[in-house]
Amino acid sequence: MEAPPVTVMPVTGGAINMMEYLLQGSVLDQALDSLLHRLRGLCDNIEPDTFADHELVYLLKGQQGQPFLLRARRSLAHPAAPWHLRYLGQPEVGDKSRHALVRNCVDVAASHSLPDFLNEMGFRMDHEFVAKGHVFRKGAMKVVVSKLSRVLVPGNTDNTEQLSLSSLVELSVLAPAGQDTMSEDMRSFAEQLKPLVHLEKIDPKKHT
Amino acid sequence: MGFTCVCQVPVAEGKSVQQTVDMLHKKLEQLGAIKHGSFWVDCETYHATGNTSGQPTKLLYVMHNSETPLSCMALFEGGPALTADVNFDVLMLKLKSHFQNAKGHKVESRGTRYRYCDFLVKVGAVTMSSSARGISVEVEYCACVVPGDCWNLMKEFLQSFLGANVPELPSVFATKPEGLYAPSDCIDTMTQYLELFSKVRKQQVIPGGGSVR
Amino acid sequence: MQQREEKQLEAAVESLTSRVAHVKNSLQSFIYKLENEYERLTWPSVLDNFALLSGQLNTINKLLKNDKTPSFRNQVVIPLLLNPDRDEDLAKLTEQRVPVFSHEIVPDHLRTKPDPDVEEQEKHLSTEAVRIGPDAAQKQIQTLNKLCSSLLEKLNNPREDRESENAALRQNKPSFNPADTTALVAAVAFGKNLSKCRPPGPVAPGHPGQGPMMTGGPTLQQVTIGGASGHQGAIGGQGAQQTGQPGKMPSNIKTNIKSASASMHPYNR
Repeated sequence: MEAPPVTVMPVTGGAINMMEYLLQGSVLDQALDSLLHRLRGLCDNIEPDTFADHELVYLLKGQQGQPFLLRARRSLAHPAAPWHLRYLGQPEVGDKSRHALVRNCVDVAASHSLPDFLNEMGFRMDHEFVAKGHVFRKGAMKVVVSKLSRVLVPGNTDNTEQLSLSSLVELSVLAPAGQDTMSEDMRSFAEQLKPLVHLEKIDPKKHT
Repeated sequence: MGFTCVCQVPVAEGKSVQQTVDMLHKKLEQLGAIKHGSFWVDCETYHATGNTSGQPTKLLYVMHNSETPLSCMALFEGGPALTADVNFDVLMLKLKSHFQNAKGHKVESRGTRYRYCDFLVKVGAVTMSSSARGISVEVEYCACVVPGDCWNLMKEFLQSFLGANVPELPSVFATKPEGLYAPSDCIDTMTQYLELFSKVRKQQVIPGGGSVR
Repeated sequence: MQQREEKQLEAAVESLTSRVAHVKNSLQSFIYKLENEYERLTWPSVLDNFALLSGQLNTINKLLKNDKTPSFRNQVVIPLLLNPDRDEDLAKLTEQRVPVFSHEIVPDHLRTKPDPDVEEQEKHLSTEAVRIGPDAAQKQIQTLNKLCSSLLEKLNNPREDRESENAALRQNKPSFNPADTTALVAAVAFGKNLSKCRPPGPVAPGHPGQGPMMTGGPTLQQVTIGGASGHQGAIGGQGAQQTGQPGKMPSNIKTNIKSASASMHPYNR
């Protein structure tokens, strides 16, 4: 019997070069119900999901250049669910023909040993926050309305303080690179949420 | 997933790796084991590049197992282990400025899967850079997850086709002999493979080992 | 003088007849549509038909109120000849509706009073009105007024509420605050204003030669603040080029991605 050739690599590789298309905005607490109401009407007719997540942002510093940033998220509502590890590339905002911010994105589901493992890799936690809110879907589009809270005592997600009187509203699509028609759909959807919320392509670098 | 034991089987004197593997197959078939597809386990080695602190670099191993084809296991020797989905491979590509893939260090074991009653036996030829380095035998007793309860049974079964080459209780279980084996992931199995691969990596190319091809 | 008035009357009657004929035609075609084309009839076209009818009725009303139109009320019609036999001319004029001009139908067609039924009802109502005293009547009027006004209030109020709510959303109370957007985006992107949980010590704890914080490499906020100051500096001059970091960054990343995808090939081969 002949053994299989060793050159055939078993690496399946995962999804390479996925891009996240993103529009952001916010809504004041007093208008939150109106927005949720409208989203319930506009989005796919499935039970809207609520979520409560704890996000830990880790940095890995090399000898030179930018630190490498990873986001680890765990669900507070479903403690047994896997952790979600996310890498986000530098946003491409310059292209005026695109209506959304575009950035490289790698999503990894991981076991609960993730924080220990990241520590061992040399990552250090930079900051953390708690995000609670609602998720809606409309086809490939995802709308997340989340209330952000800062964690007062490191690691203790019971002791939090709301960051502002507004909720963050994010409209995003994950697609392989080059599917710029996505941003058109997103723009027309964002148009329907006006004047309640203005979803825009925001370059975070301009707002540090 | 049941209690799993991985051990290295020495190449028979005067034989090649493939010949020894064939002998094992014959013995298993004589026992009444039935061929049940093939399997592979691989292991990539990464080392951190930006180590400013001067500490000895810990190696990061990223492993895959055909039993869990959509998962990716990342381990530090003696350190924490992570089970993730295959997108972790993509992430390692993004991290390449911080963790370099030692290409020549890729080790894998490939071979045939046999089923014998409640036992699942995988005899694999361990290769590194296309050269055969040794033989791995993985036996899983699917009916039990408590190592302490079935180690003797396992040992007896191993004896039936390995003869004198029966291993000791794997060290991953030595620390928790009576404890429940975590069945949800295959980290314990991968840890055993990792130990085996490290041994194989360090050893010289076996005389007469030759290529598997 | 008399002649002129007669002419005026004739003209008025003529135009009135033609207007009424118009209304009749519209009604006929509408009824035909309702009876025969109801399957294809759309609501907007039904509304169109109603609009046409109401327009035609309006012109008739205007015509009747016109100063030049003599008052038809002052004209008296006297039946001069009654005939129990069928009159073909009359039947033709009235589209077979009135074939004879006889004793039986003349009082009905030339009457100046309401229908006998209606007359009967009116009589009944007036006796009723007389029967109850003026006090009771006053009371009933008041109750009715009260009911009407409360009903009106109920109908008007929700609309007011709705309008005020909308107005509040549109003008007085904005539903979002751009400053909050900025703050939230910066928080999720860089952890701005979020608690820093990193210990302020060196990266590798206990290792000598590592200074505090600064030598441990830039933290995320430090780096991005650098970018921000560059951005502000750009207003004043070439600050952006000097701090340079954000400008360089994308190219760094791009090469990363490129070489990363290139190194995928050995895996696939």
